[in-house]
Amino acid sequence: MATDLAAGAPTGTAPAPSPRPPARPRERRGRGLLVAGAFLVPNLVLLGVFTYRPLIDNIRLSFTDWNISSPTATYIGFDNYVEWFTSSASHAVLWNTVVFTVAAVIGSMVLGLALALLLDRKLFGRDAVRSLVFAPFVVAGAAVGVAFQFVFDPTFGLVQDLLGRIGVESPAFYQDPDWALFMVTVTYIWKNLGYTFVIYLAALQGRRAELDEAAEIDAASTWTRFRKVTWPQLRPATFFLLITVLLNSFQVFDIIDTMTRGGPLGNGTTTMVYQVYQETFVNQRAGFGATVATIMFVILLVITLLQVRVMERGQQR
Amino acid sequence: MTASGRRPLLRLTGAATIAALALTGCAGSGSADDSGESGGGPVESLTFWSNHPGESKAIETELLEAFEAESGIEVNLVTAGKNYEEVAQKFNAALSGGELPDVVVASDVTWFNFALTDAVTPMDELWSTVDVDSEGYVDSLREDYAFEDEHYAMPYARSTPLFYYNKAMWSAAGLPDRGPETWDEWAEWAPKLAAANSGIAPMVLPDGSNYLDWYFQGMVWTFGGSFSDDWDMTFTSDETIEAGKFLQDQYRQQHIAVSNDANNQFGAGQAAALMQSTGSLKGLTSAAQFDIGTAFLPGPPPGCPTGGAGLAIPERISDERKEAAMELIAFLTNTENTVKFSQATGYMPVQKDAVDHPDMKPFLDENPNFRTALEQLDVTSSQDYARVLLPGGGARIGAGLDRITIGGEDVETVFEQLDEESTTVYERDIEPKL
Repeated sequence: MATDLAAGAPTGTAPAPSPRPPARPRERRGRGLLVAGAFLVPNLVLLGVFTYRPLIDNIRLSFTDWNISSPTATYIGFDNYVEWFTSSASHAVLWNTVVFTVAAVIGSMVLGLALALLLDRKLFGRDAVRSLVFAPFVVAGAAVGVAFQFVFDPTFGLVQDLLGRIGVESPAFYQDPDWALFMVTVTYIWKNLGYTFVIYLAALQGRRAELDEAAEIDAASTWTRFRKVTWPQLRPATFFLLITVLLNSFQVFDIIDTMTRGGPLGNGTTTMVYQVYQETFVNQRAGFGATVATIMFVILLVITLLQVRVMERGQQR
Repeated sequence: MTASGRRPLLRLTGAATIAALALTGCAGSGSADDSGESGGGPVESLTFWSNHPGESKAIETELLEAFEAESGIEVNLVTAGKNYEEVAQKFNAALSGGELPDVVVASDVTWFNFALTDAVTPMDELWSTVDVDSEGYVDSLREDYAFEDEHYAMPYARSTPLFYYNKAMWSAAGLPDRGPETWDEWAEWAPKLAAANSGIAPMVLPDGSNYLDWYFQGMVWTFGGSFSDDWDMTFTSDETIEAGKFLQDQYRQQHIAVSNDANNQFGAGQAAALMQSTGSLKGLTSAAQFDIGTAFLPGPPPGCPTGGAGLAIPERISDERKEAAMELIAFLTNTENTVKFSQATGYMPVQKDAVDHPDMKPFLDENPNFRTALEQLDVTSSQDYARVLLPGGGARIGAGLDRITIGGEDVETVFEQLDEESTTVYERDIEPKL
């Protein structure tokens, strides 16, 4: 028998501790605050140092003419903002950003859902295909960009080869701004398809099987079953994806940098994040770059707030 | 505060956090303080930031080991980026409070901003202190880094554009085994090349995102034009516009193609000629399955700009470190080592007497194309301020050239806009600091 040497008493036979008097509400609240603080403070400190401080710094710099190599910056009021909002180049950049983001969000979510529905079934080689679909997501964007440069090359690329077999000439992917934007969007969707796919697949596998069985017994058609049974259960995943894919696609940089450097014709594929880079590091106007970043922040803030509001309303119904 | 009252606040905080997280990578780190002085005392080690231009990591390592053996100073070679722009970004980040290197690679378009903002040190005094013979360097390469009677970098991996041609296609067109001497001669040759070699472009040039502005710099000079005369913009001069119209006309007639991957197009036999950096000489020669000829860029001289990168020393390190850094630069670029570096990479040797070095003659005999590049150095000229000294100058002109070629826009309109934009940038970003 094990012995508690310190107490000199056999373990497991110690008398049960006398019940403590229930904590008063005030004490309970104090303990609760302590526990909450222990969990929250480290995260809040990290958020403050690595997210909010740079954000505030960025907003402050957006009102200066800071040259990135210079140790000093001069306050210039709203000049940078006036310049951005009145510049035709910025309007083109905003348009590129909107087109790219909308196409990337819709494209990757629709294709991700379609693949998830397909690979949710019992098919031969399903696990291997799932891995293949997810694999590009873990590849670095710059590597994908370099590889797809060759895919879309109008002289040697895979696309021109495939089109050539049916007698169609390859579009000028690197010279026509519309085709260039199409090219980087398709590349981005290909790279990120694995992400939307895996989230939708997880949501599909977590859905209530009895609802499907009930629909099957009722002889509901495939489309009706998807629309009335499956889709409502995918709504939380869809809202989650909507926010995360939108935020991620708004920030795409590596693929554009490796494939087009923001061109052709100057800003054919320049999005807002790429403009931040160009202004800050190419034109050395870190103050103006900070302005573009701040405008991006406000746009993302508004979009995120709207999405949260819509999601809350959906849950209330 | 009630639960319902807290909800909007929580929602706003949550959304702000999400949006802010999305933007954290964009945020600047704030303006730098001026406390970058390193400590004094004997220098035991140096840090060299490079992007290893022209796949030069092996030769850089070899030269640094030789320097360590000679000086007893250890050198930490850091890969600071994959290209000049990335090295500049890392250096800018270090200026904002990080650890500075002792020697940093600075390209023809990045050094000036560092000089303008006192981020790199003037070298003339250090040349005297460390006893460097600055006159031994090729004049045009040394003077590329001159600003207000001081020099802010020293030539290192220097290149020029070179005219490459496919000898078989030349022969098929019945052309002499040489490059065109003028752009008029090129205009006569191009239809012959197109007729004799079906389906190929007589010449391919890198597009505006890949430094078309650098190749066009020489062309514009041969027409008597320029991008700028010091800080006066000259995009709208008759000669500059004539050069622009010539380029546009050649593009429209399909005598010149513009490509995002000109090297591949030429190397795969899809184009008869190419204008490309001397830094590509080794790669093109080894990859192509045909005989490559090289020639000077069409004249009359100067029809060829210099380019590439130099080595700079940060201002905010101690004087002892600056002197040790200058010793390292002098070692890397002395005659013997510039010959080694240039043979390993294809970049130009930066010392005048490199051509007479015993190792150079057999190398030139074996690589006659490199001799062309070397001899062309005598007829090169420093680039116009509007491209190399004005922030974003190269990208701005490149985009304009894309517009008149790929975009087919009116040359006068585009060049007028270039003139206005460049003047605005000068008046806003440069003039107040001069």
